[in-house]
Amino acid sequence: MYGWIWRHLPGNAWAKALVSLVLVVAVVYALFQYVFPWAEPLLPFNDVTVDNQ
Amino acid sequence: MAATTDTDHEEHTAAPGTPPPAGRRRGAGRLAALAVSFLGELLITAGLVLGLFVAYSLWWTNVVADRAADRQAERVRDTWAREAGPSGPGALDTKAGIGFLHVPAMGAGEVLVEKGTSSEILNDGVAGYYTDPVEATLPASGEKGNFSLAAHRDGHGAKFHDIHKIKKGDPIVFETKDTWYVYKVYGILPETSKYNVDVLAPVPEESGREEAGHYITLTTCTPVYTSRYRYVVWGELVRTEKVDGDRTPPKELG
Repeated sequence: MYGWIWRHLPGNAWAKALVSLVLVVAVVYALFQYVFPWAEPLLPFNDVTVDNQ
Repeated sequence: MAATTDTDHEEHTAAPGTPPPAGRRRGAGRLAALAVSFLGELLITAGLVLGLFVAYSLWWTNVVADRAADRQAERVRDTWAREAGPSGPGALDTKAGIGFLHVPAMGAGEVLVEKGTSSEILNDGVAGYYTDPVEATLPASGEKGNFSLAAHRDGHGAKFHDIHKIKKGDPIVFETKDTWYVYKVYGILPETSKYNVDVLAPVPEESGREEAGHYITLTTCTPVYTSRYRYVVWGELVRTEKVDGDRTPPKELG
């Protein structure tokens, strides 16, 4: 998978490394900004109130 | 995808010095190896994502929440300062935040208190007073009842992280615009069901009290890092003190 991505990135090794870095940052950003805030309430780690539900 | 990868692979293996690929058995073996390495990469990715989620929950949400809480607390302080007369603070208002909770046993610092216990409120790194299922009685109302609060144990500011450090007899001070309400802890319930809404009752009988009074209740989740049970701390109003011009804290916070 990662090997396939690496082979399909343009340019020489430096360009590939740079693009890879940008991709990694983009993925981490998407996770922190969208995926984790969405997933968190669905997981039973942070319910602090007592209620009758 | 397997086909493309195969061609790629053949290009590589066709490099000078390496023997050409041969036979159906070799091809099937290579496919299996590809599948296994793909699965392995998926598992590594899943591990990394879970690690990132831990970092998100225990670190990043605190950063975001503390920033939000500081901003809101500053707004409340500003409003109070602006409306304060020369002789002392003006009348109470309950917009934005209603006050600050000081619990020396949980460390220095103050926790902004806002209305409601939904995650949108609590995720801003504040403590919320209950409006549901049992509505909290605000201390400023002067009526007898229970001032019930909730805040996060971990992540999102983790304002009640050290709730287990509170012991009986410790002070809990609630600061409003014009009054310090000094409570004393008299009851602790280290573990209870999340359905136990009786702990929020105006007279929380589980704490041992049977008569109406001015109570405060702190709730959060326990054990740390999970939400299996709830941790409850009860306090009782000892006295109130008017806020002076310098907002000198009561001696319990000295």
